[in-house]
Amino acid sequence: MNDSVGNGPISNALAWVNGSDAPEKSTLDLGFMALSDCASLVVAATQGFAQPYGLTLNLKRQSSWANLRDKLVSGELDAAHSLYGLIYAVHLGIGGVAPTDMAVLMGLNQNGQSINLSRGLQQQGVVTPEALDRHVHQSRTKLTFAQTFPTGTHAMWLYYWLASQGIHPLQDVASVVVPPPQMLAHLQAGRIDGFCVGEPWSANAVAQDQGFTLATSQAIWPNHPEKVLGCTQAFVEQYPNTARVLVMAILEASRFIEQSIENRRSTAQLLSGREYLDAPLDCIEPRLLGAYDDGLGNHWQDPHALRFFAGGEVNLPYLSDGMWFMTQFRRWGLLRDDPDYLGVARQVQQLALYREAATALGLNAGDQDLRSSQLIDGKVWDGSDPSGYARSFRLHALADHANRQALR
Amino acid sequence: MLRILLINDTPRKVGRLRTALIEAGFEVIDESGLTIDLPARVETVRPDVILIDTESPGRDVMEQVVLVSRDQPRPIVMFTDEHDPNVMRQAIKSGVSAYIVEGIQAQRLQPILDVAMARFESDQALRAQLQARDQQLAERKRIELAKGMLMKMKDCNEEEAYTLMRRQAMSRQQKLIQVAEQIIAMSELLG
Repeated sequence: MNDSVGNGPISNALAWVNGSDAPEKSTLDLGFMALSDCASLVVAATQGFAQPYGLTLNLKRQSSWANLRDKLVSGELDAAHSLYGLIYAVHLGIGGVAPTDMAVLMGLNQNGQSINLSRGLQQQGVVTPEALDRHVHQSRTKLTFAQTFPTGTHAMWLYYWLASQGIHPLQDVASVVVPPPQMLAHLQAGRIDGFCVGEPWSANAVAQDQGFTLATSQAIWPNHPEKVLGCTQAFVEQYPNTARVLVMAILEASRFIEQSIENRRSTAQLLSGREYLDAPLDCIEPRLLGAYDDGLGNHWQDPHALRFFAGGEVNLPYLSDGMWFMTQFRRWGLLRDDPDYLGVARQVQQLALYREAATALGLNAGDQDLRSSQLIDGKVWDGSDPSGYARSFRLHALADHANRQALR
Repeated sequence: MLRILLINDTPRKVGRLRTALIEAGFEVIDESGLTIDLPARVETVRPDVILIDTESPGRDVMEQVVLVSRDQPRPIVMFTDEHDPNVMRQAIKSGVSAYIVEGIQAQRLQPILDVAMARFESDQALRAQLQARDQQLAERKRIELAKGMLMKMKDCNEEEAYTLMRRQAMSRQQKLIQVAEQIIAMSELLG
């Protein structure tokens, strides 16, 4: 495994530095949220992966996605560890900021989020999706589920999963936003009954014996897109060489993390540090190594655990991945009209730039711009008919202008 | 008169801000309750302006308030530079984010933000300075030097030396440059 890696690409890449392809901006501020899936950014910035390209990466931990977004848009951050949907929401003008042209430079990871329920529900026998479905439809009190951002990935996984079990996420249950570090306290106090979040916050709920994992996000969609390296379109246009070498440095860090178990272990140790996740190692390491304990006595090695590289499969910014989030925004009424799905995705996903970076590192970047996946409800998503797909779900909150008028 | 909801959910002291706003003649509702209840509180209080620490994790809950209110008679929007670029920039600098009922004019917000900016305890000065470019080049040379020493000591190749150094750094939650400096120091000691 090691011999395929070598430092060859690094020395070849030095050509960028001396030639006219040198980065236009040499010091970058990168935003991240304290989640296990920010690992490749932290490893790239602290372990000397950017220096050979003449780049210095400064890590800036953020306290909320809204703040991270505002700083990306204002230019205070050059690029950031971002929720896939957040980048599209800003681009399409959904939420707090005016529409701004955004860019996805690369995928940072796949899998590794999960839906967890309270011990209270467990005591009532709600330990399977079927039992949850019965409980929701028979109980008089409405359950409350938390996610992390209205247009974020966790909201979309939670909605998709609930709907796949016959539960309407916006009618049958209440949906609230809770910052990840506060999930456990609210669960403990009974203010929420379940939540969908990234690690280490699910493992933490299990470790504290306050909750259990009912579904992983990879069970909803094996190898689903999750966090991306996001920035504004203006950044890519102004600093194309910088953007390319930034992708190269993070690709190399991603490869390093997955090069051996020892590297994954030391990544977990690094992440637990005060400046990064500031969380106990035993909540970070197991699931970073794919070892799951659901808090109900089941233990397994997950074949689709959080991954950062997989030979570059994780990192290609497929157009179909970006489009999927738009179809779900449409499905749940966040978008009132069909956007030009393919056109928007082509604008946002920086496929050409990514392929240049990957090829320079000797990685296979494929020539496919779409990929096909089967999700938990049996439906296949391949990007071919986005507006039809968005309309194809039995449970939805499609909000068309025409319908809205009729409702008033 | 504008009614202000002041969200108090970070260690920053908003007490003085509250007093100052009241002295300036505003109606202020101090909200120190749970962030999770914010949407319900906004519904009940019906504020014209909501002020929150820019660094508060509760900003993501406000995002939900913004989205949910889209179709209601009083849509709440984030105060952005579309309204007034200068006021917006000043506000961000002082660490306060404002959400307003859509349609409120920027001029009416100015006195509120003036008070907020003067009173909000700012810790912006503590922000880390950007690293100078020459420091970065020096770091790269030191890492190269340490790598060479390690290759000699361990009789290994470049790739293996990098991996050893990085693993050591990561397991100690250090940067690569710190481990490089340790190797150089140790190597000098052992001569």
